[in-house]
This record gives sequence, C-alpha cells and structure tokens, in this order.
Amino acid sequence: MSRKKIAILVLGALLIGHANLQAAETPEAEPPKETGSAVPFGSEDLTTAENLDEAGAVSQADLSGVRAELATLSDQLTQRLDKTIANSKRSLSISGSSQTRYAVSTSPGKSGFLFNSAILSLKGFLKKDYEEGKSFSYTLGLGSNASYNLQPTDAYLQYSIGQSLDIEKPYLSVNIGQQKKQFGLEATTTEDKQPAINTAQFASKLGLSSRDIGIRLYGDFVPIVDLGYNYRIPLIEYSLGLYNGSGTNVPDTNRNKDIEGRVAINAPVGYYSPWRGLTFGTSFYRGQQDLYKGATLITNGEGEAVKSRYGADLSYVSAPLGFTAEYVLGRDEKALTGTTLANAKRAITTSRGYTVTFFYEWGEQFYKNSRSQSRNDDWWPTTFQPFIRYDHWDPDTSLANNETAITTVGFNFFFAETTKFQLNYSISDDKATPLKQNSFAAQFQFGF
Amino acid sequence: MRKWIKALPVAALLFMTVIAQAEEKPKVIRIGAGGNSLNLPKSSGATGWVDEQGLLEKEFAKDGIKIERTFYKAMGPGQNEAIASGLIDFGSAGDLVLVVGRAGGLPYKIISTSGSGGSNVYIQVNPASGIKSLKDLKGKRIGYQKGTYLHLCFNRILDAIGLSEKDIKGVNLINADAQAALATNSVDAIVSNSSRPLVDQGVAKLLFDTRKYPQFKGGPGAIFVTEAFANKYPDITKRVLKTLLKGYYWASKPENQEAIIQSQVKTGGIYKHIKADQIGDFEPTVKYDPTVTPEVLKKYQEMIDFSVKRGIIRRKFNVNELFDLRFNEPALKELGYDKYWVHK
Repeated sequence: MSRKKIAILVLGALLIGHANLQAAETPEAEPPKETGSAVPFGSEDLTTAENLDEAGAVSQADLSGVRAELATLSDQLTQRLDKTIANSKRSLSISGSSQTRYAVSTSPGKSGFLFNSAILSLKGFLKKDYEEGKSFSYTLGLGSNASYNLQPTDAYLQYSIGQSLDIEKPYLSVNIGQQKKQFGLEATTTEDKQPAINTAQFASKLGLSSRDIGIRLYGDFVPIVDLGYNYRIPLIEYSLGLYNGSGTNVPDTNRNKDIEGRVAINAPVGYYSPWRGLTFGTSFYRGQQDLYKGATLITNGEGEAVKSRYGADLSYVSAPLGFTAEYVLGRDEKALTGTTLANAKRAITTSRGYTVTFFYEWGEQFYKNSRSQSRNDDWWPTTFQPFIRYDHWDPDTSLANNETAITTVGFNFFFAETTKFQLNYSISDDKATPLKQNSFAAQFQFGF
Repeated sequence: MRKWIKALPVAALLFMTVIAQAEEKPKVIRIGAGGNSLNLPKSSGATGWVDEQGLLEKEFAKDGIKIERTFYKAMGPGQNEAIASGLIDFGSAGDLVLVVGRAGGLPYKIISTSGSGGSNVYIQVNPASGIKSLKDLKGKRIGYQKGTYLHLCFNRILDAIGLSEKDIKGVNLINADAQAALATNSVDAIVSNSSRPLVDQGVAKLLFDTRKYPQFKGGPGAIFVTEAFANKYPDITKRVLKTLLKGYYWASKPENQEAIIQSQVKTGGIYKHIKADQIGDFEPTVKYDPTVTPEVLKKYQEMIDFSVKRGIIRRKFNVNELFDLRFNEPALKELGYDKYWVHK
C-alpha cells in the first residue's frame, strides 16, 4: 500500500472518529424534540395539546375529592354566615345616597363646600305572595340635609291590594306611614333622574317636596304591554293621599286632614313608537293650616286657614331626548289684621310657579337593558347629559315685581352605576332686589 | 383634446364609485346576544365556539373593523331594546321575540336560522294539585313567562286540547320565581325550560314535555341584522354570516356534541338536564341546520298567524317582511355547505 493511500486511510479514520464523537455528543447538545413532531420545541401550538388534567375517566378517588371540596365549601360558608355576614329576620335591601357639592355665588358669604344630604334606606318584604304578588313590604329611611340633623325620612308599610305579578293587568297598592307626597313632577322625581341640582322653587316654597304622615292609595288602569321589550305603560295612573298636613316627623297640629291627588295620562303606545314617554298629569292638594299674621301665630291647633295647590305637567322623556314642563298655583290664607280667629281679617295669597326643562343624553344611562349586561368588569355606560331649565316663582300674584326667575344651564356626567357628577350654572333674577345673583355649583351625587 | 374632455366625466364617476366602495365599511360591528344564568359575558354552542376561536376578529382584522359584543341579561327583549335604540347591528334570539319585535315595527331582518332544532318545553306540576293529564290544567294556576317561546308553545299545547289562556289562570313569572312559586304551592303547575331541580328533589312531578311531542317544541331561533346595516354594508353582512355559519358547521358534527354540552354547563346549564333534554332530539346536522328553507318560512308564518289568533301580537304580517334572503344561500354556497346541508 502506498504512503498516499495510508495517509488517506488514516485521515479518513480520523474524520470518521471525529464524526462519531460529534454524533455521540449531539444528543446532549440539542434540545429535546416531540416524537413525530416537525415543529421545533417552544414553537408548537400548545392550545391544542392534550390537557392532562382532563385525561382519563372519572375515578372513585376523583369523586371523593369533589365530595371533600363540597364539604369544605359548605363548612366555610356556614362559618362565614355565622361570624362575618350580616343577616336579618326578613328580606333586607340596603341603599343610600349622598350629595357633596361645591358652590360659588355672587352673593357674599355664600361660597364653599357643602354636604347637602345623606340618605340611608332599608327595604324588604314582610310577607311575599307568589300566587298573585299581594305582598307586604316595608321602607325605613334616615336622612340628613344641609342642617346636618339625622332624622327619619320614610317610614311606611306598603301592601299590594291588587295583583302585581301579571303585567297585563292593573295594579293597586296602599302605603301607610311617613312618605313623600306625590304632587306633580318636580317634587316627586328621584334624584338620579333630576337633571338640575336644585328642585324648582315652587316645590320647596309650597311644601310639595316634603314628607308627611298619612295613607296613600295608588295604582293604574288599562296597561299597555309590549312583550317584545318587557315594556309596560298604563294609560292612566292615579294616586290619592290623606295626610296630617303638618310635615315631617311632627304630630298633627290641627284637627283637619289634608288630601292630595294626582292623575297622569300616558301615551298608550308600544315601545318602538315615537310617542313613547309622553305624559300629561294634573295634581291637587287641599288642606288647612294654622292662621298667621306675618310671622305671628293666631290660631294653634284649630287650623281653619286654607291651604291648596293645583298643578299641571307635561313631559316627554324618551332617550336621548327629554322635555318637562310644570305649572303650579298655590293658595294660602293669611290674616291681614287681628289677633284672634274671631277678629282676624283674612285674605288668600295666590302664588304661582312654573318650570321648563330640556335635556339630551349621549350614552346608554337611561336604557334599561343596557344597564343590565353580563360583564366581567365593573362596566357602566358612560353618559353625558346637558340641560337647560327656566324656573319662575311669584310668591304673591297680587303684587308686582316680586318674582324670581332662575335660568340654569348644566351638564351631568354618569360614569358609574350609582354616581353622577353635576355642573350647574344659575342666573337668578330676583325682581324684589336690584341685584342679579349668579351661582355655580359642582356636585357629586353618589349612592349604593 | 376633445376625447380627453369626453372621457373626464366617466373617469370622475368611476373614481367616485371606487372611493365610495372603498369607504363603505363600518368602524365597528356590534353584535348582541342573550345572557346566561351565571351572568357571564359569553355564549355557548355554535356562536360560543365562533367567539372562542376569534373567527370574527380574524375575518375583519384586515379591514381594521372592530368587533363589539354585548350580552343582555334580559335576553331577546334586551336585544329588541338595543335595536330600537340603534345600539347593535346583529343579534340572535328566539322565534317569538323576533316576531313580536317585527310586529311592532322593529327594523331588522332574519338572515339565517340558528338551527332547525328549537327548544323543549316542560310542564311541571305540584303533586297535590290533582293534575294528571293536560286537560286537568283547566282552571288551574299556571306560571310561565309571557313573551317567550314558553308562552307560545304553551298556547299551542292548550290549543291542541281545545283550551286557551282564558281557560287557565296564567301567572306571569320568570323561571326563578316560577320554581319558587311551585315549591310553595302558590301555583299548581309551571311551564319551563329544561331546568327542573324541583323534579329532581321530588317536590314536583314532570307531567308533559316536548321530547315526546316535538310538534310543540319551540321554533327555530334566528340570526338577524338591522335593515340599515344590511342595506349599507351587504358584503360585510354576508361575511359576518359566513363566519357564524362556520360555527353551525362545527356544531353539526357528532364528535363536537360533548364540547357543546360542556360550553352550556360553563354558562350555567345543569349537565344532567342538558343531556336528558337531548333525548329524542334531531340529529346534529338537522339540529344545527342554518338554511332558510320554504319549511322554515312556513313555520314562521304559522307562528305569526297563531300569535295574532291568540292576541300575542296585534298586527298580522307576511313572513317575507321578517326575512332577508339575499345572504343565506350565497353564504352557504361560498363555504361549500350547500352540499353539506342538502334539501330535496
């Protein structure tokens, strides 16, 4: 064999040996591959891989494990119910709301942060009827207004005299106890639906937004039902109340009772009609009060002074548009002269107030089913609501230049389930004084 | 030069058409769906699978179109309100709620059924009520939810035995309240979906169900689109439908039935009831057949006529007013499903 051939053989042997060495080392150097898979490790789609947790049939041990988990869960729940979770003897729903605002006014000394009101409300069933919905329920409330005194607000029982389960039939209920009077729109609309921070002047000046102790019967006729939307609107709604007439948290100051009534007619149309949300209402309030000459009380407990209010309202509320208008006349008997009931010369003071409000919404705040979605997060439909309101009050129509007109422009921002932020700018023109008073208010209204 | 000038208006028209075509795409496609008993924002079954796979998102990613889903706890009525308020473009709901909505003038059209199956109806009775047959329901207090397929199916059952809602004391109750009312003897019987825990507990008895009498089952639900969206974006509408049809194709495969049941359990269904509900059911290829056939149109027309007869809706209308047939057949053809779901 020539030297050349031997060299080639040796070289070849060396090369083969080196290759074998490399081959021997390779399994340790390369990452492991899935058997039968051409995709390199780390790149394969793991979402389609077999889930080992779900492999195989359920065994006796698996069942025992599930039973043990259930028993532990039951034990944990019992302990929590016993130690840390509040409970009551009857069904209980707790809610509340508060208003915190900052107000600035052109009047001196009338600026600053203000805690306007706080309300806590407890409601529930005392006896629930599943057959016809003739249930007994209760409402108890505590509230504090700008005077910072915590007082009972609502304290009444409610009973459904008529059935309340079938939406195609009329409803009839009765409330007994201290409750809000139901006169007109401004005094009865709940805070979450009122565009403006302050209610109309006539509502507070005529005592329409206050509570009183008494009994109220209310219900409706001719319900129009649109099953495609779970929508129900009665053609006629009515309310008739009998009250002490003395106000909140006070016993009756005279022998007479005040009577209040309201009838509202709703457009009898289905959900998809452009007339949905149109309502015309009329209200009255008649009672008696003590006789005053100025601030001096002439009678005490004998009433005998006329107190009456009459009102009419028109509203069109169909998201995103809204319009409300209300007119109220008040009649209060006062003594012009005299010191006793016998010698007092009396006169009726007629007062008048009216208000008009326009509002518009961008967002789904006032769509019932948009507020009721299945969500993982704490989502709420963000909604913006600008509005403008004109509010006129004349305390004595027999006198000239004593009216007050307040024009309010504002903006409401709904961003959470029970919270809204309000901005109001009011231009107040009180003809009794030479000054125009403007004010700006920013308010958070929150609840739970 | 003259030739140039003559060509200009045509060129301008062509240019504007191209621009218009290029611009005719929505920024977002809003899809509504019914909620579930666990209030989870997810669907089950065919559409649940489409959502899980992100098929709609993948289909419209290249167009830059976002997909927005809303799950309404109020089910069909919630979607009707959303349509009335212009909040969704597509949805899927049961037959009766679509008929009621259309009767009231809602501007939507059905573009596909969500299967031929329909839902079963169960009548559970209080053992102490003395009800042994359907005719014994006369004069009894029966709880059911009005405006749902349960309401319509129950009316059909009453009609078949010569009765009407006037012959019973109907109590309008949602499912949870109906179960409670039956447990407390406040009603003698309830009409429900497959959920029957009281029967399992021995508190109530199962009197009747449509697994044995499929002619009384609920009708086929449907996928709908607003008229405005379909007319403005017909191509997009067809693409949405094609994507959803892939879900029905997947659901029609026998090997996927267990996965469908699991998805229903994850959204609040009871496994035992779901399995039992399938006894006597159609084959999956029939149950999830989305074709709008003359048979489907006939069923819907019968439903409209029956609903008018029973006072559930006031306006009688032709079924063609409820359907838009431009998309179903072409979508099935383009996917090759016309050879899969063949109708003689």
